[in-house]
Amino acid sequence: MTSARMMKTTYAGTPLPEVKIFTDRFLSAETTEKVLNALIEVKHIRQINICGETLPLTVKSGPHTGIPVNHPERKMIKFGNTEIELTKLVGEFFIELNADCDVDAAVEEIRKACDKTVNIGYSLEIGRYSKYRPTLTDTLRC
Amino acid sequence: MAYKRQFYPGTSVPAANRRRYLDPKQNLKKLRDVAMDDVVRIMGHRNPGEDYKSIHPPIEEGKEPVCPIREIVVPIEGAKKGDRVRYIQFTDSVYFAPISPYQRAWMYLSRFRGLDTGTLSGRQIIEMRERDLEKLSKFLIDSETFDPALTGIRGATVHGHACRLDENGLMFDAWQRYVWDAKKKEVVYVKDQVALPLDRRISVGKPAPMADLLKRTTIFSAYTGGVDMREDKEVTEYGIRIHKLRTLAGYQPFNVKGV
Repeated sequence: MTSARMMKTTYAGTPLPEVKIFTDRFLSAETTEKVLNALIEVKHIRQINICGETLPLTVKSGPHTGIPVNHPERKMIKFGNTEIELTKLVGEFFIELNADCDVDAAVEEIRKACDKTVNIGYSLEIGRYSKYRPTLTDTLRC
Repeated sequence: MAYKRQFYPGTSVPAANRRRYLDPKQNLKKLRDVAMDDVVRIMGHRNPGEDYKSIHPPIEEGKEPVCPIREIVVPIEGAKKGDRVRYIQFTDSVYFAPISPYQRAWMYLSRFRGLDTGTLSGRQIIEMRERDLEKLSKFLIDSETFDPALTGIRGATVHGHACRLDENGLMFDAWQRYVWDAKKKEVVYVKDQVALPLDRRISVGKPAPMADLLKRTTIFSAYTGGVDMREDKEVTEYGIRIHKLRTLAGYQPFNVKGV
């Protein structure tokens, strides 16, 4: 099953292979939606985490603290059959693969999905970039 | 022999641009003409047409104490009238903005009178008497030191100078003070520098192409297309020399002989 970080991160407990997509520029909400929906088609993806610059809901400092920012890229996007609120200008995707998959084949499919949707260039790496089991921070967050 | 002022060493393009921006005898090119009222709106300190608020009576009306320095220094217009001190702050992207904060400080102090400036990693503030600040701000926004996509006018929450650009080539701004007008291919301000929405959209023109920016920038960078500072031998030697003198002698470099 595929999930996005904004829903809830689930930890596999073991360091599964992870693919990192680092785009040359930040993606608009529209492009992010396209990339995520193209990745849904790829088999053997366990989880997708997205990273980027946070788009605040309200102004947090200065003389107009509290007024809404209304950033045009902070909006609801369709991810498969669900709607999620995109709160970031996305620049990285961390795609965790299942333990029993053919990594090379999965990476090839991910690359094709990115080629189709990311027009401004990206780099792709395979490794392990995020934690795979809960730590103290997760305990504090809940 | 009379001392001849020197500005910056080096033979590379960024070094030459640094010299050019610092030298007050060199005129900065004017690339756009943003209306003064629009500059006032973006700054957000007063409404266009509104009187300047003052913090003291005009100097001519007051009785100034006898002071030789007061007799030497000619006050700027805003100081004569008793204007408030206001600010404008520019953020410069690391992706070859025409100028960077440190050179802004050098340039301001080399070219203009009556201002105070502060340097941070990605932004540069100017504090000055209000009416003089407005004129200076317009001059800077209209000049070649400003690029609509890579220079931001941001009073607070300036984060974005070291972030990747967005799909339209604009520097990241969490408060979205300016947006890309896809029809006109221009950058348009929709908020003032502290994020209060403006009652009208203010265009600051088209962003410069990257080839042009690479010729105008003062930024040394190993990023694709840029000039690595280590490629400019004289600049590198100058940096090493300052570092060495500071390390050996702190603020008394004249005490180090033979370096």
